[in-house]
Amino acid sequence: MTSATASAPTHADARRRSRRIRPTTWAALGFAAPLIIYIVVFYVAPLAQNMSMSLHRFTRRTFVTGDAPFAGLDVYGEVLADPTFWNTLRQTLIFVVLSIVCQYSIGLALAVFFNQNFRLSGVLRGAFLVPWLLPPMISGTTWQWMMDADNGIINRIIGVFGIDPVWWLQADHSLWAVIIANIWLGIPFNLVILYSGLQNISTDLYEAAALDGCNAWQRFWRITFPLLRPVTMITLLLGFVYTLKTVDIIWIMTQGSGSSQTLATWAYAMAFGKGHSSTIRYSEASVVGTILMVIALAFAFVYLWAQRRDEEGR
Amino acid sequence: MESSRFSRTLAAGAAIVAAVSLAACGGTGGSAGVDDKVIEFWDPYPQYAEGSDWHEWVVDCAPEGYTIKRQGMPQNDVLNSLTTAVKADNAPDVAVLDNPFMPTAVDSGLVTDLATAGVDVDGFDENIEGPGIVDGVQYGLAFGSNALGLYYNPEVLDSAGVDPASITDWDSLNAAIGKVVDSGAKGITFSGITGEEGVFQFLPWFWGAGGDLSEPESQAAEDAQALVSGWIRNGWAPKSATTDNQSASWDLMLTGEYGFAENGSWQAAAAREHGFGMIPIPAKDGGVAPVATGGEFATLPYHKTANAEKTEAAASVITCLTSGENLARTNETIGYLAATKTARETQVRENGLWAPWVESVEGARGRTTDVGLEYETISATLSENLQAALNS
Repeated sequence: MTSATASAPTHADARRRSRRIRPTTWAALGFAAPLIIYIVVFYVAPLAQNMSMSLHRFTRRTFVTGDAPFAGLDVYGEVLADPTFWNTLRQTLIFVVLSIVCQYSIGLALAVFFNQNFRLSGVLRGAFLVPWLLPPMISGTTWQWMMDADNGIINRIIGVFGIDPVWWLQADHSLWAVIIANIWLGIPFNLVILYSGLQNISTDLYEAAALDGCNAWQRFWRITFPLLRPVTMITLLLGFVYTLKTVDIIWIMTQGSGSSQTLATWAYAMAFGKGHSSTIRYSEASVVGTILMVIALAFAFVYLWAQRRDEEGR
Repeated sequence: MESSRFSRTLAAGAAIVAAVSLAACGGTGGSAGVDDKVIEFWDPYPQYAEGSDWHEWVVDCAPEGYTIKRQGMPQNDVLNSLTTAVKADNAPDVAVLDNPFMPTAVDSGLVTDLATAGVDVDGFDENIEGPGIVDGVQYGLAFGSNALGLYYNPEVLDSAGVDPASITDWDSLNAAIGKVVDSGAKGITFSGITGEEGVFQFLPWFWGAGGDLSEPESQAAEDAQALVSGWIRNGWAPKSATTDNQSASWDLMLTGEYGFAENGSWQAAAAREHGFGMIPIPAKDGGVAPVATGGEFATLPYHKTANAEKTEAAASVITCLTSGENLARTNETIGYLAATKTARETQVRENGLWAPWVESVEGARGRTTDVGLEYETISATLSENLQAALNS
């Protein structure tokens, strides 16, 4: 900074091609510095550390001593060759896709419903936000209780209809159990964003459509849904990223046991020695973490591509 | 001109702010471990807050001129935090570690030789201290141990016509649980949760069937899996046993609906309040099954920049908690049975709770004593197979 203060800003135009950095550039760098430092310290450095851990073979000992041997892509190879990985990936995709599809469609239906602005709609809409406000620790535990195989309220209710009790948290069923809980958890988020998107659609359009004789179904599919497209895309992208990295609700309900293990809970279990094995596997966890980031990044690019195509089409 | 000067000033100002705030971050991080007169003490008992008996008891052990800063955190966090702290050279001066973690803590160089540091480690029971001794060097001192037993609810057993004294092996246990369930009550609660906690509860059945940790997939393991998973399949144990930890399964017992509960000596006081009795866990063909030693080890973590005087002070804190009359008091405060015969006798004399537990603690086995670091893999195998059996 001292050199910037010392350099006098004379004949700036004449110096355009000069090697000296112009004072305004220094100023620009100065303004950008806090952001750049922030990004480097809190984003780039941890990412680089994660990459580095996935390329070295870490154990608890080599983590402490700092002499973990370089393994190149060996750990990636091992993780990808592990049948657990592919099974977990499959479960993760089922978890993410089903969660998002249901969260979005239920959230959209509720948003359209509340957009009618009837009496008490504000209060009811507020009530739908409760899952969002509760700490996952509480909602997870509550779902665990409700899904208890012997005494859970869900089994009692379906028992009224003559359905046999379900062992919700059993290994083969636990994926469905956590999907149900996660859908419930994600509806408010979709509701809020889609509702605000609906508010931006001019009522004139609906009036015109009504004059043209469109029924409610046509109004939804011809006006609401297409105009909601940008909001839909960002909702789905955010929902995808949130759902992909979900650990808390799954961990609290099942510790990621059985079919409810996703890539995120698997990475968590390996990194901190939780789950079946208390052996920490920093390298494998970093590999799974990196793969998760690549998946999320790929989806973000799909979003950007779709958005650009949308703008060009306009 | 004016605007460019203004922007330069702003830029310089922003850079200074950024530099200062970064320096401030670094400053607080570094200075935390440097106070020579504060002994940092980590333990896995977050339930004892400041003002609790345990907290005061520990803090009172500060040697002349020192103060103790105690921090309680969840079991796994102590080891993981210790790992990063030793790496960053700001480890605590005393860390209390769960006993199955000892081999990995020693292997990673997280903890140091206690005797060299001046801790008096003589006269403690071998079966309890086993996990803390690696290659003949004692890296941790267990002040005591807890153990598992089979609690029963006398009211439920009476109305089912079951005499707890009749339970001497697995067959008579199954007969008793069957009778309890036939009487309309519920059978037994236990914790089959994924991970070490579920394995801890499984080991008495595994060892009771003649199992050996070096063979985690033996016939004994299958017999023990068949026993506990049979309880769930018969509806004698709740299905939630697959995800219940030990306190959740105890909560079920507290409903008063169950006849039996496999749980630890740390519940002895609560059990007395509710009028529950306790019998040792039976082995498959009769006799008492060995249980695993439970409880923690006091260790002196490794510091790259050693401070002999402070290490000596930290060692004297451990000695203070574990020597002479204090040992019984330490265990009494935390609800464990002491690791020496004399202190145990004092506890049994002064507290009627302990008499039925002495045999189990004296016959208990260390999980890692013989197999060392291998235990992590063995335990993972036992846990996976147990979960598979319980969920089938």
